[in-house]
Amino acid sequence: MDETADNPDTAHALSAASPDGGPPDAQLVARVRAGEDEAFEELFNRHRRRVALIAGRFFHQREQIEEIVQETFTKVFFALPEFSNRQEASFAAWVARIAFNACYDELRRAKRRPESAMSNVSEEEAAWLKEQLHNEGTGSDVEANAVARDLSGKLLSRLSPEDRMVLVMLDVEGMTVSEIADSTAWSASKVKVRAHRARASLRRVLGRFM
Amino acid sequence: MAGKKRQREADERLDRLGRELVRASASSDSEAEAVASSPFLYARLRTRINAEVESREAGESWLVLLSAFWRSAPAMALAAVVAFMMFWSASPSTLAPGALSEEALLGTSETGIEHVVFADRSALSNDEVLATILNDEREASR
Repeated sequence: MDETADNPDTAHALSAASPDGGPPDAQLVARVRAGEDEAFEELFNRHRRRVALIAGRFFHQREQIEEIVQETFTKVFFALPEFSNRQEASFAAWVARIAFNACYDELRRAKRRPESAMSNVSEEEAAWLKEQLHNEGTGSDVEANAVARDLSGKLLSRLSPEDRMVLVMLDVEGMTVSEIADSTAWSASKVKVRAHRARASLRRVLGRFM
Repeated sequence: MAGKKRQREADERLDRLGRELVRASASSDSEAEAVASSPFLYARLRTRINAEVESREAGESWLVLLSAFWRSAPAMALAAVVAFMMFWSASPSTLAPGALSEEALLGTSETGIEHVVFADRSALSNDEVLATILNDEREASR
C-alpha cells in the first residue's frame, strides 16, 4: 500500500526479494490489506509447508496437522493488520510463532482430554522401554521406530504442555534458547528453567521403567 | 562419590532415551508435506475464514446491542426507581402487610359497602321521618 512507501523499514522489506523470485512477503501483505485474496493465497502457498512441518513436530495424525495449518493461517489472516513491517525481515518467523502458539494451544486442549496415560503403556511397551534403557538406544528398524513413536506419544502426554513444547523445540527443531524465547515470548532464563524442568520431568517418567 | 557418578550416568542415559523418544514422537517430513500439499486445503481455509468473518460480524452486532443496553441501563434503573417511588407514595393504604391480608380475608376493612352500611345506621328511620312530617303539618295547621 502507498502508506508504507515512506517507511524506511518497509522500504527495506520491500526490497528483499522472496526466495522463489516472486514479490516479497511485505508486498503481498500490503496487497492482502488492500483486499486482494490472491495475495493471501500466495502467502499461504509460500508458508504452508513450514507450518505443516511445525505441526508435525507435535502431532502425527493428519487431521491434527491440517487443523493446526488452518488455525495458524486463520490467525495470520486476522492478525495481518497488526503485523508490523519492522518484523518483515522475518515474516516467516512471525508465521512460525503463530504456528507454535497454535500447537501449544492444541497441546493444552489435548492435556484436558484424558486420552492417554501412563496406565495405557502395555507390558510389552514397558519391557521394550526397559530394554532400550539398558541397550542405550531405540534402534533404527521400522518396528522399533513404530513402537517408539506410539510409546513416546503416551509418555509425552504425561508432561505439561510447556515442558513438551520446550523439549520439541530443543530436540526436534534444534532451536536455540534465544530462538525459543523469541517464538514463545518467554524470557531466555524462563526457557532455560523450563528446559531443565522438562528434562527432569521426562527423566522421572522414564525412571519408572528402570 | 561412586553413587553420584552412577546417578549421573543413569540421568544421562535417561536424557538420551528421552531425546530419542521426543524425536520419535514427531511426524516424518513426508507426512507433514502430504498434508501441506493437500489440493483443497486452501479452499477449506477460505471457508473457515469466511465463517469466522461472519461469526465476528454477528458477534459485533450483539456487542453493539449490548453496549447500547449497557449505556441505557443507569437511565432505565433511575426511571424504575422513580416509578416505584411514585407508586408507593400514591398508594391509598400504608397498612402493614399482615393487616392488609387480614382485611382481604375477613372483609373488615373500611370499604365502600361498609360506609354505606354505616350511613344507613346513622340515617333517620322511616318512623322518625314520618313523625317529623306530621309535626311539621301540625305546626302549620296551628
